[in-house]
Amino acid sequence: MFRKRYRQQIPELNTTSTADISFMLLIFFLVTSSMDTEKGLMRQMAPPPLEHETPKDINRENVMQVKLDAQNQLTCDGKRVTLAQLTAEVRALAFVNRAGHVVQIEADPKTTYEAYFGMQDAIVEAYHALREEYAQKHYGHAYEVCTAEERSLMNDYYPQRISEAPIAQEGGDQ
Amino acid sequence: MRPMRSMFCQSRRSVPQLNVASMPDLIFTVLFFFMIVTHMRSDEVKVRLQVPQGNEVQKLANKQAVVNLYIGRQGEAWRVQLNNEIVQPADIPARIEDIRGGLSQENQQRLTVSLRVDKKAPMGLVSEVKHQLQQAYALKINYSATEIKNKYCYGKN
Repeated sequence: MFRKRYRQQIPELNTTSTADISFMLLIFFLVTSSMDTEKGLMRQMAPPPLEHETPKDINRENVMQVKLDAQNQLTCDGKRVTLAQLTAEVRALAFVNRAGHVVQIEADPKTTYEAYFGMQDAIVEAYHALREEYAQKHYGHAYEVCTAEERSLMNDYYPQRISEAPIAQEGGDQ
Repeated sequence: MRPMRSMFCQSRRSVPQLNVASMPDLIFTVLFFFMIVTHMRSDEVKVRLQVPQGNEVQKLANKQAVVNLYIGRQGEAWRVQLNNEIVQPADIPARIEDIRGGLSQENQQRLTVSLRVDKKAPMGLVSEVKHQLQQAYALKINYSATEIKNKYCYGKN
């Protein structure tokens, strides 16, 4: 019994600086991270054309040619239009000929991307408006709150038929 | 009415110490919140660009399967940056193939290319890049844009 046993009090841990440390971590995360969620226009491109693939024939009447020239001027089937007019035109075409129409996009290499994006946005807006209308009529609520099943049904009902490939014009096809 | 002395002579009463023991916990909570809702900027953007604005933008889901492609100015010239380095348009298919090799089977299917293109970029370059992506079978693309906030006042007729 040489060892003296005395009641030793455990000293309290000084945790005052924990707040400072976690503040530093917090500020580090605030600075290095970005809050912005990425948003954009989703598009699905066509697979690259195969060598032996024969081009499909489409009726000239079902095709809407949307062009952007080097001065960012938007033309639709040869006449100048604004973005809102383009939306209306595409909407009318897709409404009349749901499964057979084609919106053909052509952009001059000198067009700015902004104009091209605006055009894409306007075309997509037309389809969204149609699907929205369909959703309201048949399901009684907005497209945004539809289930995945309803959405795919609507997407099939009003397919986005946008082509960026140049369409070969043949004599007899006019 | 209390006597004068006790009314003004309050110096003897000391202010109780504020208990800050739970402050670290609070701050940790905020910290975890930020860690969860944010994502780290992984690549350094070497080109200068400003994305256009649009009405019909959607949120980009599944960050793992996203390849970032930036088209913007570096000095005066237009440059293409894929994830973290400047590339030539012709090199894109090989790069995409490399990236695809490092992804899981599921994400390979979902591979999306987020195109962050400057407003003023010429379509010639953008078309070239898109053509290369098509060759690489990276067919899902996302034109990155900021949303126009008051969308119901714009462009409707």
